[in-house]
Amino acid sequence: MTYLLVLLILVGLYIILASSFDLVIGHAGLISIAHPAFFAIGAYASGLLALDLGWPPLVAIPVATLLAAASSVLVSLPALRVSGDYLMIASLGFQLGLIELIKNLQFSGGSGGLSNIPPLVKGNVSPLTYAGLVLVSAAVVVWLIRRIMRSDYGRAVTALRDDETAAAMLGRDPIWIKVWVIALASGIAGYAGALYAHYFRFVTPEQFDILQSAALLTMVVVGGIRTTWGPIIGALLLETVPQLITYLNLPPNILGPAQGLLFTTLVLAFMFFRPSGLVSGSAAWRGSEPLEVVNVRRS
Amino acid sequence: MTSQFRLSRRSLLAGASAAALPMGSLHAAGTPFRFGLTLPLSGPQALYGSDQILAAQWAVADINKAGGVVDGRPLDMLVLDTQADPQIGIQMANRVVNAEHLPVFVTAWSAVVKAQAPIANDSKTVALVVGANSPNVAKLGDYVYTTYPLADVDLTALVEYLYQKMGKRRAAVLFVNDETGVAGAQIYRDAFKKIGGTIVASETYDNKATDFTGAILKVRASNPDTIHIQSQVSDTPQIVAQMRQLGLNQLVTSYAAIYNPEFIKALGAAAEGVIVTSLAPDAKDSPKVAAYVARWMKEKGRAPNGLPYTQYLYDTPYLVADVFRAMNKAGMAMTGENFRTAMMKVHSFELPLTGRTNLLATHEVKKPVYLMQVQKGAWVKIATMG
Amino acid sequence: MFEWPVISQILWTSLATTSFYVLFTAAFALVLKVNRFFNFAQGGVMTAAFYTAYAAVQMAHLPGWAAFGLALLVSALLSTIIELFGFATLRAKHASVLFGFIFTLMIAQFVAYTAALLFGTWTVTIFPSMFYPVTLVGGVAVSGWDVPAIGSAIGCLTVLFGFLRFAPWGQSMLAVADNPDLAGLYGIKTKWAYLMAMLIAGALVTVGMFLYGSRAQVQPMTSFDLMLFAVVATILGGIGSIGGAAVAAVMLGLVQNASILVIPSQWQGFLVYAVLFVAIVFFPRGVRLPERRARADATRQAPSNTSEQEG
Repeated sequence: MTYLLVLLILVGLYIILASSFDLVIGHAGLISIAHPAFFAIGAYASGLLALDLGWPPLVAIPVATLLAAASSVLVSLPALRVSGDYLMIASLGFQLGLIELIKNLQFSGGSGGLSNIPPLVKGNVSPLTYAGLVLVSAAVVVWLIRRIMRSDYGRAVTALRDDETAAAMLGRDPIWIKVWVIALASGIAGYAGALYAHYFRFVTPEQFDILQSAALLTMVVVGGIRTTWGPIIGALLLETVPQLITYLNLPPNILGPAQGLLFTTLVLAFMFFRPSGLVSGSAAWRGSEPLEVVNVRRS
Repeated sequence: MTSQFRLSRRSLLAGASAAALPMGSLHAAGTPFRFGLTLPLSGPQALYGSDQILAAQWAVADINKAGGVVDGRPLDMLVLDTQADPQIGIQMANRVVNAEHLPVFVTAWSAVVKAQAPIANDSKTVALVVGANSPNVAKLGDYVYTTYPLADVDLTALVEYLYQKMGKRRAAVLFVNDETGVAGAQIYRDAFKKIGGTIVASETYDNKATDFTGAILKVRASNPDTIHIQSQVSDTPQIVAQMRQLGLNQLVTSYAAIYNPEFIKALGAAAEGVIVTSLAPDAKDSPKVAAYVARWMKEKGRAPNGLPYTQYLYDTPYLVADVFRAMNKAGMAMTGENFRTAMMKVHSFELPLTGRTNLLATHEVKKPVYLMQVQKGAWVKIATMG
Repeated sequence: MFEWPVISQILWTSLATTSFYVLFTAAFALVLKVNRFFNFAQGGVMTAAFYTAYAAVQMAHLPGWAAFGLALLVSALLSTIIELFGFATLRAKHASVLFGFIFTLMIAQFVAYTAALLFGTWTVTIFPSMFYPVTLVGGVAVSGWDVPAIGSAIGCLTVLFGFLRFAPWGQSMLAVADNPDLAGLYGIKTKWAYLMAMLIAGALVTVGMFLYGSRAQVQPMTSFDLMLFAVVATILGGIGSIGGAAVAAVMLGLVQNASILVIPSQWQGFLVYAVLFVAIVFFPRGVRLPERRARADATRQAPSNTSEQEG
């Protein structure tokens, strides 16, 4: 039973991550792939505040959420000032650089990871309660994102994604809207990270590398970009299908790569044959500009 | 970082791949005594993990063939795959504790062990760590014990030998920037200074590095008479190769994980003279070990990867069986708390492939250290310490 | 530590080891310039090339040159598939950059997982031995690997630039890079230009991986780390300038290796990211020399339809 509950907790956390990631790459059309980095910041910040400074986790978690949101501005603002493409590289560099940084700093536990993070409340929380907390959070996050995208702000974000020049002409400052969206999504990711930290009580830097980004991408693409249910389906699939695969009784040394192959193939297949994902949304992947996006300098 | 390969280190899917292989009885019958084994069956460390699992499975089969634990009741081992990934390790520990309610499980790989520790402690389930060598392992909590000597055991013995028998006074240390490297290098440095030597250089390198020129040159400039490498198994040949190519011909030493035939294969002549530690007796010391190695050759056509580690994994079911026997004799219920009590009461075990093992109150063990040197293309034992 | 013998050794070995970095960077920069994709799938081509060579030498026991030839063949095949079935489709659908990124990343992962499946995840080298004879040249240890490596890199780059500047096909490629529609109007077959760029890039990385894999150990994910270097160098050199990228690769390699003289060795890995951050914030258009900047400004055309117009 606990085993299933732990699985539920993971699914819930990934729903939060996938939905907030969809906010950035789907709704806002921004190529920031450093989502796991903010998951990491949330996890580490909350863990360290609770472990080293003795803060009660119930206080540390919101603070970590804000920290994650704030740190996203460090990445998005300078990069967006240049262009959207640079955001991709900047976010990639930020994520990998963060991992390097954590590995080299003593107080974060170095590459061995941060262990013995205090549980949510003294004396620990039962898995059932925690699963409930995570699932409720996931529901709130999904609802929140849906509300936001249907609000004026959401319409501005959509307009920005579809045609930036026009949106700019309408008087909205595009850069700040983008920065805010990323900050919101990153804060949510940080919240998920903090929740993770106080349940599993152990985090390592490699948990947040580019493979996690790829996993989130898979969830969003296969689930359905820019839909409410897409990231949820994606998260569910990616967490439960591996369980089913184990019943195929594959030799263990090909099990890992086989799972990876299955999912990369899935993403590629979906991208080309059903770009809108399992849960159909709007015209999924068409970019706003043709491929002239790169400012190519004559050399 | 404990694991080398980034692909599965954080598996793309944080799901758990559980290959549950309960080892049933062959000749024994009755309610089995059950325990868990969480090791990497797949993934980057599978090369070592799968051989270790096999060794443990042989042990369980051998115990059951000989009549089981007691009263003909068999030993039953639940094997779960961790892929050397901490998150999967947590899943597996949860399964052991909450789904299967086992009193004890065997585990390895420092990062996984660290992640599983809170689960073991909170649920009062004994975690027997076999093979992780970071000294922190002994401090992970009331229910975490190691039956494999930690880094301070073999490195201290090595230092003693270098200083007293080989007259080395100026040591340089080159270490990988991860848990094993940092902790091991610290122990070596402290031990060497304590015994009266000087540490002339201490350089670390990133675990993804492939060019070590800078660090090696810094070491060269410090003019050591011996160089200790606390590295990942896959780096060590490259480091030694680059060292020799940059003109460093001093004695090179390393730790137990490097004691592997692959090391000599990778380096050829450049491996000559390298000294490493080993924490298990080899075939020449013990007829049981010789028979064990012969069995590997017969059934698999090769020596096991990380022979000493597999020896410890072979012995662990015997240790577990001994404790179960003691618990049964005292009429104890099969809980983790009781297992722990019984284990510490017995505390001294005579094990087939690694000899006498004494579990200390500090949650660790001290064993003899064997120093192995590459001579004429083969590993040769040059000393036994402690 | 700052004595000449040490510095010269670091300089020499850095120069030698930047040989493969330069090739990876030039390939990445070329595809970015001509095909206009951030081709992270290059990592997949690199992995495929390496494992082909490895399998040829260590499993089929073929000589080195045959292994190299096979590796070239495999990388050409994979590059062709990526261009004809991947990039061409993305172009036709006017797909966004994100879509392209996901595609290339997934290709790289697919190849990595396949390699893990076929060859396992332990590290291996192309040849059984990593040892090369060493000669001392004025106190500097020169390994038998160094000179062929530098030679190969220089040779490949010379051929590349010669091709781009003098060969008709090279010039066509540059024309397509500049303005594909216009080039098409002039009768240049853009499809062939795109394919050729990918094939050349594939060849460059094959040489690079052959060099790398004969000196260092590789596992299926190694190419991801190598790619990052190429990306940073390309940005430093200025997107669109292959020459700039190549120079940046050499400089970055030298800086990274020489940094051990001033910073603790554990921070060397972090240095690349720090440089990337500085590059993005202060030199987004690449580190440009004053005269080139003046020339570029003078010939700047009407603003293109990019998002850099705001802010």
